Amino acid sequence: MNIYLPIAELSVNIFIILSLGGAVGFLSGLLGLGGGFLMTPLLMFIGIPPNVAVATSANQIVAASVSGALSHWRQGLVDVKMGMYLLLGGLFGSFTGIWIFKLLSSAGQIETFLAIVYFILLFSIGTLMLIESSQVIRDRIRKKTVKRKLHYHNWAHRLPFKVRFYSSNLYISVIPPIIIGYFIGILSATMGIGGSFILIPSMIYFLGMPTSKVIGTSLFQIIFITAFVTLLHATSTFAVDAVLAFTLILSSVIGAQLGVIFTNKFRGEELRALLAIIVLAVAFKIGTDLLIQPADIFSISTIKELY
Amino acid sequence: MKNILIILISLFLYQGNASALVIGSDLNEITIGANFSGQDLLVFGAFYSDPSLPRDAKGDVIIEVKGPPQTVKVRKKKSFYGFWLNNTEVTFKEVPGFYYLTSTTEINDEILNKNNITLLTQQDTNDIEWGNIRLTKDRRDFLNAMKRNKNNLDLFSVNNESSQIDILDGNLFKTNIPIPNTVPIGDYTVSVYLLINSELKKDYSYGFKVKRIGIESMIHNLAINYPLIYGLLAVLVAGLMGWISAEMFRRLRKA
Repeated sequence: MNIYLPIAELSVNIFIILSLGGAVGFLSGLLGLGGGFLMTPLLMFIGIPPNVAVATSANQIVAASVSGALSHWRQGLVDVKMGMYLLLGGLFGSFTGIWIFKLLSSAGQIETFLAIVYFILLFSIGTLMLIESSQVIRDRIRKKTVKRKLHYHNWAHRLPFKVRFYSSNLYISVIPPIIIGYFIGILSATMGIGGSFILIPSMIYFLGMPTSKVIGTSLFQIIFITAFVTLLHATSTFAVDAVLAFTLILSSVIGAQLGVIFTNKFRGEELRALLAIIVLAVAFKIGTDLLIQPADIFSISTIKELY
Repeated sequence: MKNILIILISLFLYQGNASALVIGSDLNEITIGANFSGQDLLVFGAFYSDPSLPRDAKGDVIIEVKGPPQTVKVRKKKSFYGFWLNNTEVTFKEVPGFYYLTSTTEINDEILNKNNITLLTQQDTNDIEWGNIRLTKDRRDFLNAMKRNKNNLDLFSVNNESSQIDILDGNLFKTNIPIPNTVPIGDYTVSVYLLINSELKKDYSYGFKVKRIGIESMIHNLAINYPLIYGLLAVLVAGLMGWISAEMFRRLRKA
């Protein structure tokens, strides 16, 4: 059965979209990751134009992060004040991101840009996850326990404009959260991702936030960043495809819940190793597409008349 | 069906006229709804030989369908240190968003070009922004690349070698033109040319529309005319879907 996408202006098999959303949702529920970094490239693989893939993926993440943030919110695991400072940087970052996106689109380089950035991103995430998870698995086999520090004192504690974050039990400068938020905003607007896989380690290592508050706070600010990015794309690139987004949301929320149920049945590190391999496979596909001479070195793009 | 009757009636009425050509279509608009996945357009007609022409005069029909004009950028990739990046760019203006050509017998390019039955007319060719592409051979590569890429999207098809037209009864003809799901919205023209001994004797054209209907049209209009409201709605619905699903599954797990 086919479904016509009014903004992408093509029809796709609805079952492909449903299974794509379901699979990415399942992985994100299973591993507690957003999954946007898989959604956008996979949408492009099945022939969705890059601008529609990015803008629509941002719209889909709004739903995924609301769904995830709620349970953290109920348990009081969201540092709203920290989220607000991250968001402040993120709003400025989204503007920069949209500007970069439009500039590269008109220069005809957006596809190459996305391919290169996604390759770097997925390759590094995949490699890091594979190393980390295999170390944990090895340590478990050797029955070693690793002690971790409560939090780190680093340069972030020596900058001016210090503010007390009661929820996270921190007294740090507001500059690092704003800068981190800014970069996440750029990534979100150019790549259609939430950026939790960069945000979460940054919050732990650069800001020294307690791990328990990190995921909830990151989801909290991703809701607003991706909502803002969706609005920016809707008004400037006109590339948000609501039919595609809602179809993806429908299947991904179900997939995510199934993923959560399955979390208890597997060990986290083994799941992360599995995801690492999937991520590396996608990175490999994007990388080879960049390096191997394409079958047709010519490509066309039609300038859409807006009426 | 009504159209076919009109054609048949007019066939009798026109009987005395020389080399008359009557044509029609089964649809005068193609509508894109939620489950649109392409559609065939039936073009049919009748031609009969002119009594004043010699008995062995050869009559051929060419059917051409042109979609609304679009601007198309064609980019050529070049290897930079092993990476294939877009390098040079040519902008074609007024390219029919859909082009389909078929004929009853093999028609050579010379005849087509002479009668301006091509994707780009002479005027359109003058409007091409070639950038720094100067050699005729390179320019031809870009033009062919555009046709090839549009052909892959089922938006360009020239069948002047193998006929897709069925001839019934010697002077009735019909053909199905496949309109793909990637088809652009707008006004289309169907032109039918009658050739006698390879000379263009008569041509006739009529239009049809491709338009969005129902929810597809609503969503598209909202997105283009009220992008802020559209964006806010998209965010709101997404947020609600996320919230409802979380609540639903929480209750389900409690139960």
